[in-house]
Amino acid sequence: MLVTIVVGTTAALLAWRERPEPGATPLAAMLAGQVWWSVFFVFELRAPTLARKVFYSNVQWVGVVVIPVAWLLFALEYTGRDRYLRRRYVALLSVVPAVTVLLALTGDPYGLLYIETSLVSEEGTAALRRVGGPWFWVATGYTYLLGLFGSIPLLGLVRSDALPFRGQSLALLVGTLAPWAGNALFLVGAVPMDGIDPTPVLFAVSGVAYLGAITRFRLLGTSPSPKHRAGRLVFERMRDGAVVVDRHDRVVDMNDRAAAVLDVDPSAALGVPAAEVVPNYCQLPAEGQSSRHFSTGEGINAARYDATVTAVSDVHGEPLGRVVAFHDVSDHLRRQQRLEVLNRVLRHNIRTETNLIHGNADLIDAEGDRVEAVKEGAARIETVSDKARDAIDIFERGRRSADAVALSSVLRECVERVHECYPDVTVDCETDGELGTVPSVLTPVLHNVVENAAEHNPAADPRVWIRATRADGEVRVRVADDGPGIADYERAVLRRGNETALKHGSGLGLWLIAWGTDMAGGELTIADREGGGTVVTATVPTVDADGDEPATPTDDGDGVSATSDPSAE
Amino acid sequence: MSHEPEQASSEYDPDRGRSVVVDRLTRYGELAGNALLYSSAYLAVIATVEVAVVMLLLSVPPNPAPLVVGLVTFAVYANDRVADAEADAVSDPERAAFARRHRDVLFVAAAVAYGLAVAVSALGGPVAFAVTLLPGALWVAYATDLAAGMGTRVRRLKEVLVVNSAVVAVAWATTLTVLPVAFADVAVTPATGVVFGYFLLRSFVDTEIPNVDDVAADRAVGVDTLPTVFGVPATRRALYGVDLSTAVLVAWAASVGHLSVGVAAALGVGLCYSVGVTTLLGRVDADALSVASECEYLVVAAALVAPLWLG
Repeated sequence: MLVTIVVGTTAALLAWRERPEPGATPLAAMLAGQVWWSVFFVFELRAPTLARKVFYSNVQWVGVVVIPVAWLLFALEYTGRDRYLRRRYVALLSVVPAVTVLLALTGDPYGLLYIETSLVSEEGTAALRRVGGPWFWVATGYTYLLGLFGSIPLLGLVRSDALPFRGQSLALLVGTLAPWAGNALFLVGAVPMDGIDPTPVLFAVSGVAYLGAITRFRLLGTSPSPKHRAGRLVFERMRDGAVVVDRHDRVVDMNDRAAAVLDVDPSAALGVPAAEVVPNYCQLPAEGQSSRHFSTGEGINAARYDATVTAVSDVHGEPLGRVVAFHDVSDHLRRQQRLEVLNRVLRHNIRTETNLIHGNADLIDAEGDRVEAVKEGAARIETVSDKARDAIDIFERGRRSADAVALSSVLRECVERVHECYPDVTVDCETDGELGTVPSVLTPVLHNVVENAAEHNPAADPRVWIRATRADGEVRVRVADDGPGIADYERAVLRRGNETALKHGSGLGLWLIAWGTDMAGGELTIADREGGGTVVTATVPTVDADGDEPATPTDDGDGVSATSDPSAE
Repeated sequence: MSHEPEQASSEYDPDRGRSVVVDRLTRYGELAGNALLYSSAYLAVIATVEVAVVMLLLSVPPNPAPLVVGLVTFAVYANDRVADAEADAVSDPERAAFARRHRDVLFVAAAVAYGLAVAVSALGGPVAFAVTLLPGALWVAYATDLAAGMGTRVRRLKEVLVVNSAVVAVAWATTLTVLPVAFADVAVTPATGVVFGYFLLRSFVDTEIPNVDDVAADRAVGVDTLPTVFGVPATRRALYGVDLSTAVLVAWAASVGHLSVGVAAALGVGLCYSVGVTTLLGRVDADALSVASECEYLVVAAALVAPLWLG
């Protein structure tokens, strides 16, 4: 018994020290209740008279009734269900304990707690033997009920992935079950010593278990209490709307965002068939992303949403319901619409106008070099529009990331285009075995890299070297030329990752290459070539022919590095 | 490549061996001394002696009361050292550093000590149990802003002038006097009241003397003590007054027969020692003076026991 008191007091002080950690105060109160019960049990055993024994036995109730209430409050607070820890709930929980203590401390005048009290001799020691009355069984049942309710949230933690939480909950449950089991045996008369309740003795097990939980598993130091609230918080604060439906397709929950998107009152929508609340609900897939958007509002300002369905199942895999999440794709669709318009303007309108300029320039009655200047200007406008169309092409291909092309055929196209457009340039293309397939967005990238190497090369015997190798799920395409190289300020723009009015590149070519490589999940390096010229290297993950997506692009910019280090070659 | 030559160590050098032993003893002795002083374990020893003095004064038969009081003293003061480590950083940086470095060990040791004290006190009956709970409960009220946690703002007892020292003095005087009586289950006599009064006044002096060293720290945290409010010379005069009150109490008790003349003389020796300590207040190192004031009971114990040995 003295061990119980030592361990219980020590654990109570350690728990008290951890305030205001979740659960610290009720745990300290519970341990204090155990110590109180144990101390007055010692007094009862040592008391010389029946009256004294009865008095100490009655005073024990103060500690007895604190334990279940504190246990339940601890379990709720520790597991994050603190919304139940309000004064009115605590007051409600304390009604039965208060009545019990009142009856005990007033000497139980109506015999509600005990209907019979006598002294029995147990191995030479006088012990108190009491037969419980009706309120005794009410208090006992209430104690066991709260004990059970408190254990339920902790049982959920026994299967937690986190070792500390498993250890904490197991230690707490062992510490609680041991005295409760002892008390149950005493109540059914299975304890051999008549009149001696082993519960206070078994509080030593509780104290050791709680001490172990506090010191070994950092109970009150590492607490699962935020987890419970965090899940709800994420659901409520997520930027996407989410509606939870049960197995019968009725709405059981929705977050504020969903209520705003669907323009419904959440409290009115609960329990309503989902088809009455969610547009096109019947067309949604059982799981996965819907192929159709739904829109709210009308005209150019209409908001449009993607719907994704996620199945919810229980621990045995049995379906419980579904979560329908709405992701606002209005901006994405608007950008796509603008690109389509720009594409048409660049593809059709500008080309038509430059052709007109070109044709009319021949008819101008002016000096020949002025006419040539007008024609060259028109040609430059056309080049820029071609690059812009390439950029749009890259964005389109990037969006359809599932498309894949054979790298060898892309390289063959590049070589043919150079031979056709720049017949003076010699192209050496060397490939290392089977190259596999790459995202189709790499096609315009490589076209631009190779054509740039050929086009901007004023050497007497211009040459371009292409070498492609494959290793470890990646292909590496290295394009070198013996031209004048790329100016430092052009590379600096790429390194910086943005342009300003004062610091910008001269065109679109390098951006095209950088964006396309990044969309393909690869990396780009630009370096000087030893002996003059530039080396552009694109390293890109291969994809399956059916278009499995490449690795996610890195977060550190466009996956581009531009260097002047010749060793990069 | 050259290697550093190895020193020959196969031959035993008695001088060197002796010096290693001395070094180790010095080092461990220093560590033990620091632990004893900074954890306030020495106060537990003194408190044990105080209870023994009470038992001698009241002729109470031997019982576990000194052990319980020693454990409670250690628990309460070790807690206090940990709780006040920040504030002590100004007035006693070495003690504060020790408390911070061994915070967890000190707290666990204090909790175990208090648990042991409560368990042993349960053997002494309800009064002994209640008295053992008293210093712990008062410590919580004394050092914790409990009321603020409940939504009401009240000033901590520790910050109120005189009340702070009086609370500590009442708690200790009650514990020291009542616990041995409760354990022995002997009757409360007028002599018990005299002993209670004596320890109440002595504990008040013992609490105010360390405040002289804590003036800056106490002012920083808004704690009102005699030195922070009235200054050191006025504090010295006030403590002379308390010493004088104690002398009057002891003389009266001896004159009416509540205390024997021999016991009164021993307490008088302790009082003379206390007046000497109070005289040095603000004139010598305050740290040493705090320890010296707390050692008054060792002087009293020596004065009580010496005639028995000599006789």
